[in-house]
Amino acid sequence: MIFTLNGEKTEYQGPLNARLLDVLRDEYRLTGVKCGCKEGECGSCSVLLDGILVNSCMVAMGRAAGSDVVTIEGYSKTDRFAALDKAYASVSAVQCGFCIPGMILASECVLRKYPHPTEAQIREGISGNLCRCTGYNAIVHAIQIASREGEGLW
Amino acid sequence: MVTSYIPADLNEALAIRAREPVTLYGGGTDLMIEASDDASYLFLGKLPELRGIRDDDSYIRIGSECTFTEIIENSLTPAILREAASGIGGPAIRNLGTIGGNIGNGSPKADSVLILFAANASVVLKSVRGDRTVPVRDFYLGKRKIDLKDDEIITEVLLPRFGLSNYSYTKIGARKAQAISRVAFAGILDLENGRIKNCSVAFGAVSDKVICRPDIDAMLIGLSLPEASEKKAEYLEAFDKAIVPIAGRISAEYRKTVCMNLLKDFIEKNGI
Amino acid sequence: MNKISESVIKLDHAGKTSGSTWYVADFPADGMLFGKLVYSKKPRAHLIEIKTPPLPEGYLIVDKNDVPGKNEVHVVLDDTPVFADKTVEFIGDPILMVVGPVEKEVKRIASAVEITYEDLPAVFDMRESETVFFEYKYNKGDTAKAFAEADMIIEETLRTGRQEHAYIETQGIIAAPDGSGVMLHGSIQCPYYVNRAVAKVLGVPGENVRVIQDPTGGAFGGKEDFPSMVASQASVAAVKAGKPVRLIFDRAEDMEYTSKRHPSVNTYRAAVKDGRITAMDIDVLYDAGAYTTLSAVVLQRGIICASGVYTIPNLAVRGRAVKTNTVPNGALRGFGGPQTFFCIEMMMDHIAAKLNVDSLDLKLAHLAQEGDTTSTGGKYHFPVPLKDMVAEVVRNSDYRAKHAEYTEPQTGRYRRGIGMSLFFHGAGFTGSGERELIKAVARLHKFADGRVEILATSTDMGQGLKTTLTKIVANELGLPLEKVLFGDPDTSRMPDSGPTVASRSVMIVGELLRRAAETLRTDWKDGEDQDITEHYREPDFIIPFHLDTFTGDAYVTYSWGVNALEVLVDTLTGVSTVTGSWGCFDVGTIIDENIVKGQMEGGVMQGIGYASMEQIDSDASGRIRNRTFSDYIIPTSMDVTNLHVCNHIAEYPAGPYGAKGAGELPLVGIPASYTEAMEVALETKIGHIPYTIEDAMKALTGGDSK
Repeated sequence: MIFTLNGEKTEYQGPLNARLLDVLRDEYRLTGVKCGCKEGECGSCSVLLDGILVNSCMVAMGRAAGSDVVTIEGYSKTDRFAALDKAYASVSAVQCGFCIPGMILASECVLRKYPHPTEAQIREGISGNLCRCTGYNAIVHAIQIASREGEGLW
Repeated sequence: MVTSYIPADLNEALAIRAREPVTLYGGGTDLMIEASDDASYLFLGKLPELRGIRDDDSYIRIGSECTFTEIIENSLTPAILREAASGIGGPAIRNLGTIGGNIGNGSPKADSVLILFAANASVVLKSVRGDRTVPVRDFYLGKRKIDLKDDEIITEVLLPRFGLSNYSYTKIGARKAQAISRVAFAGILDLENGRIKNCSVAFGAVSDKVICRPDIDAMLIGLSLPEASEKKAEYLEAFDKAIVPIAGRISAEYRKTVCMNLLKDFIEKNGI
Repeated sequence: MNKISESVIKLDHAGKTSGSTWYVADFPADGMLFGKLVYSKKPRAHLIEIKTPPLPEGYLIVDKNDVPGKNEVHVVLDDTPVFADKTVEFIGDPILMVVGPVEKEVKRIASAVEITYEDLPAVFDMRESETVFFEYKYNKGDTAKAFAEADMIIEETLRTGRQEHAYIETQGIIAAPDGSGVMLHGSIQCPYYVNRAVAKVLGVPGENVRVIQDPTGGAFGGKEDFPSMVASQASVAAVKAGKPVRLIFDRAEDMEYTSKRHPSVNTYRAAVKDGRITAMDIDVLYDAGAYTTLSAVVLQRGIICASGVYTIPNLAVRGRAVKTNTVPNGALRGFGGPQTFFCIEMMMDHIAAKLNVDSLDLKLAHLAQEGDTTSTGGKYHFPVPLKDMVAEVVRNSDYRAKHAEYTEPQTGRYRRGIGMSLFFHGAGFTGSGERELIKAVARLHKFADGRVEILATSTDMGQGLKTTLTKIVANELGLPLEKVLFGDPDTSRMPDSGPTVASRSVMIVGELLRRAAETLRTDWKDGEDQDITEHYREPDFIIPFHLDTFTGDAYVTYSWGVNALEVLVDTLTGVSTVTGSWGCFDVGTIIDENIVKGQMEGGVMQGIGYASMEQIDSDASGRIRNRTFSDYIIPTSMDVTNLHVCNHIAEYPAGPYGAKGAGELPLVGIPASYTEAMEVALETKIGHIPYTIEDAMKALTGGDSK
């Protein structure tokens, strides 16, 4: 089947019942997409599928046919990423980092929906991304900073 | 070599379904947990006939492949369903999970299904042989079995358009997000001219099937609030007998206590 | 505030946000074999027969017969086998490994292995165990006399449950044969622990085992000893196969079969005279699980902390770690301390209730002070800042007013509660460990071009060590951060600076590096390569600790903590919401504000989880039933939305710029602040954690909540 991967039209020839997470990591070597649980609970495998946040471990390749997939590798080339990256850095929101690629994409989806989110909207938007290190405060704060500093980006 | 299918339209999907033993794939959020290499999926997610939310004179008609996010964001969605859908999983799960999948899973913990029981919703099933519409209350056979024939696909969910606005919904999970229900309660009370036009309660995640007893609810239907208050003790006792929870991660005793607490609170805050 | 405290951008930030940093599972698997362990399905049994299916070309079975050296994974003792020998001792005991080029096929073969067992009697309840792995006792003063003279004696049994680390990255090691030894890398806290264990397993000298720590996705103690098992298994397989072997755990096997926090059952008996606690008789029982692993040291710390932050003049403390046929328990942030800190705080709370005095007032009246003798006959050599810290937390949380309000009878559907806990974390390795066991070494290498490299095997697992140690050296040398290098810890190039545990790394290794930097600064030779090595020296003020008498300074110093926590409970459902948590933590000089804040916030969150939603269930065979993130519940971003931390700074003169251990403190004392709050809200008495919604419901309906 054909799908778009980080902006590139891509032909996929493997089985349609394969997991998007496995295909991204093993076939396309996009190891920024992490595997934490393989059951849709931790969010570290988050990608954007047609612009919405999904857990790539929950997506069979057939579901992605004709769709647009963006991983952290593709997203990290954007201005929005730069704003989030700077914000996360300023409060040292990255500890072990394993949840972070997914968390950054979740942050993008919060700001896309609410360019000036309330704290409650932020917390709900990242509620599907588990973090064991930070206690979430710094991440929430980072998204608030990105929203302020990234005026016009979202 | 296992084949999966991406049908272009519903007719093609129905033809494949009639022909072969395929696994219906909606959002994938239940299926992919135990994904098997041998699975032959029939991908329904993009079929236009299964998307979209419409209303007609009597119903809100929700396409079975509508995701929970779409359901939450659509202004036609009754508030009770919006609230229940908002508590499913996390954002990424809601973005993929479909109402058809939630029903098709057959689980008594399915958050949207509880609402469908309380609201007396129906599902539309299509196959190459034709269509049928089945009340959700009859669709669930218990022990994760549903009345879905091997060649059928759930295409729509029909909710009554009116009478759902006065409701109570509580989900008890282990935490505030991404939580599987341990006990869930939905109650609807519709008053017209001072009389109870509809009373409907349902209890989810406490047994192998949603507990919904229209025969007990019938005790209060047609009554005024003072009349219903006189029936209150009998009503509660009838449910006390009817609710027989099973133990899971949480004890049957806890489930029972909380179900009765929420039921009593529901009718009392409605003046009964 | 010391200038060094100013936050910098963490040195590992950029690779992690862009997704370009490789964790062990991200290394290309080309040319590697996949490994899958086959585990015991019985809690205790003789292994009678193992039938493996026919193996395709390139696939092999690796078991105890393939271990070139000793079939023992050295932790403290050597009773953990690499692969099970004659018996299996818990569900999850590794029996063999299947190795091969295609992962799917490896898994298929693994699930087709048939094992015949002969069941042996097994023990699951620690109270029924007859195998005592370790026992320690210590005494202070004369408890018999104090109890004889008491006007009130209070006795309680307090219990704590297991906890799972739930690091988001599972265990993983890649091992490749290298000459007569191996080169291995992975998710590791203690490279030299792995080095020593694997060398023994392979029967080769330590220099032939090169261990590199990859960026690690969380550890919290779960990767302190356990990687030695994984690395031993992977290394044996790599040597047998003659090819690299990749052993990465999936979430289910990680949750079911890797180490957990020791559950405990503790009996506390207190003597009170004229409103003062004059003595405590404490019996601590930890469930070690099937093998000894780290239980000796966890137990030591647990009983050292048994009387908490209080000076109790007469103490009789006994601790035992006993065997059960369950997953061997190990290190988890706090390392034995959280269990007994829960107990002592709740005991103080319950004594106050019996005496009809305010709980916080009773605690304040018994606080240890500088100069006091510690529980084990050591001394608090430095100021104890708890009074000021309590005052700060009281102010921030409005504790006094809320406590007064919430302890009045409450009506309505929702009830409120507030609790306060006081605690410490003894910084550094317990007892004489630093001096006698670890003997940490750290080195600086200066290149001719003026760049300086840190050579120490202290690992960054998210706590920011790459950044904090670099800051210390850069600060001492007056260099910009970019001129100081700190690569992935590698036993082939770096000396053993000790394990990254016990909150010791900044305080002890950081000080070694600071001294090395200080020496380098004074001896700096432009244009020349230089090496400065520093060895650990125990501070002079220490009263040496002796394990046999269990007396002396258990720790060089203490980091102090106070936490208030407020709850709202729904009486219809038993569901509680943490509506506020206010912590104050003294970790000495803060080496980086944002890093320390992140550690405090993360630790508090884990402590709240440990007290409430993190519940491990076992079946009748001791098998852990939680195997996924949907049934082992850790907090999400929506669970605690009002979490505040602040710092009190009491500099430690022997730490770098005055810094002390920080990593574990913020978890250690949190549980009691939660259960004290729940006691107020529910008007009940609580003696165990996790305290669940079912427990709350039982308390509300008047049932037994113990």
